[in-house]
Amino acid sequence: MSRIISVFTLVFSLFFAATNTAYAMHITEGILPIQWVLTWFAVSAPFVGIGVYHVKRKKRKMPSYLPLVGMLGAAVFVFSCFPIPVIALNGMATSHPCGTGLSAVLLGPFVSVLIAAIALLIQALFLAHGGLTTLGGNIFSMGILGSFSGYFAFKIAQRCRLPLFWCGFLAGMVSDLFTYLGTSIELGLLVIGKGGSFLKATAEIFGVFMMTSQGVLCIVEGIVVGFVLVFVYKRKPGILLQLGLTKDDTRPVQI
Amino acid sequence: MGFLNHTFSEVYARRNNWLTAVDVRVKLLYIVLLLAINLLTKNISIPVFFLSVSFGLLLMVKVPFTAILRSMLLPLSFAIFILLIRGLHEGEKVWLSLSFAGYKLVLKEEGLWNGLQTCSKVLGGISLVILLSFTTTISQLCAGLKWFHVPNTIVDLLALMYRYIFLFLDEVDTMWTAQKTRLGHTSWGKTLKSSGILGGMLVIRAFARAEQTYEAMHARGYEGGRILTARLPSWRKKEYIFVIGIIFVMSFLIYTRNMQVW
Repeated sequence: MSRIISVFTLVFSLFFAATNTAYAMHITEGILPIQWVLTWFAVSAPFVGIGVYHVKRKKRKMPSYLPLVGMLGAAVFVFSCFPIPVIALNGMATSHPCGTGLSAVLLGPFVSVLIAAIALLIQALFLAHGGLTTLGGNIFSMGILGSFSGYFAFKIAQRCRLPLFWCGFLAGMVSDLFTYLGTSIELGLLVIGKGGSFLKATAEIFGVFMMTSQGVLCIVEGIVVGFVLVFVYKRKPGILLQLGLTKDDTRPVQI
Repeated sequence: MGFLNHTFSEVYARRNNWLTAVDVRVKLLYIVLLLAINLLTKNISIPVFFLSVSFGLLLMVKVPFTAILRSMLLPLSFAIFILLIRGLHEGEKVWLSLSFAGYKLVLKEEGLWNGLQTCSKVLGGISLVILLSFTTTISQLCAGLKWFHVPNTIVDLLALMYRYIFLFLDEVDTMWTAQKTRLGHTSWGKTLKSSGILGGMLVIRAFARAEQTYEAMHARGYEGGRILTARLPSWRKKEYIFVIGIIFVMSFLIYTRNMQVW
């Protein structure tokens, strides 16, 4: 088994090196069979629907909310394009953050799922990154798992009174980890009915993700999200207050 | 971040040619149904046909070969990766055996064949998506999605996000270059800190721009309603012929058992 994983890792690494930019978190077009395409769309649709409801409800109270979500969505999309050199490949390839941890912290988990869905649609259409038939699956891993895990990690860290940097770090890292776990689960499920073990396949795929570039990337994304929040708090604390990340503007937050 | 400026562009979709002139609703319907065929088909030649026709059509409307290849590069490498993995792991019958860096790599026939099937589906599907994106602008796409009753909030956000991504990309590119020239990326630690500052600036600018945009929208009468009001004309004879055509193709494929629907 270790030999298979070694070969898998070798090919995976060569793949990353060959493509120069590593995009491992999205399942590409044509990979998922029709039954899983429909399943993941059915799982993701209610979350996107609730996201739409949240935006509509807030828009009624505050008409400037829609442009705000659009701008922050665009900003998070651009943030997710930041090239981060992969240490494991000695900088031969770059990877990029998910961005869902940051968007979940800034906008809440449901709106973050909606933003992720739109970002994934744009990436599938204009960057050939992900796919239209795999959109549901990618929304599940990056949007739903990424957003909710990042949001709850941030909230738990805040409850534990951790400094803002560490709250951001945990949100970024946990959301990234769960995104890869989601992708691994989706790919692992494909072996069911083909004589393979789902748990074993999921663990192997997740292990390969972590062993190559993505394990380090989770930590890197956590650090960057932590720095982002600290920077925003230092420069414009009102933004975090308005978004509900900090409660009392008069009491300084531990950074 | 330069790679985004090359691939992430509407330059080909804004051109005037017969493919960009096809109604967006027909294009969307075709792409969705052809993607379904691509997934459901048991025949490897159908995805290969989609790939070659998409390439042919794009070349016909003078989209440069390098631009198509650049867009295909990532899925292509992914497809090759899948082919290799399945070839290495599935099946019994040995097709090729070789040594690489001390490892004995054995490619098996069954795995390679299964890999080839998945590989063709990846490339066939991606080529269809690229065909749509190279011939459709975002405003056409939004109008088409509205016609298909996609919620206004999603369409409005899609339009807003797409519009501002380019602006933020330009701003980030400038800041990134400025950081680099001031030695902000000389070590790994500095890169992380600089990326954090860049991300923070992005959030601050997004917030400021959201307020400016809302004020501009409010001045033009926006009070929280729809942003996009464009309407598509009613269908002509040409569009009906296109739709009947795809229904005929699907029925034919199901009848000849090239598509496994149930």
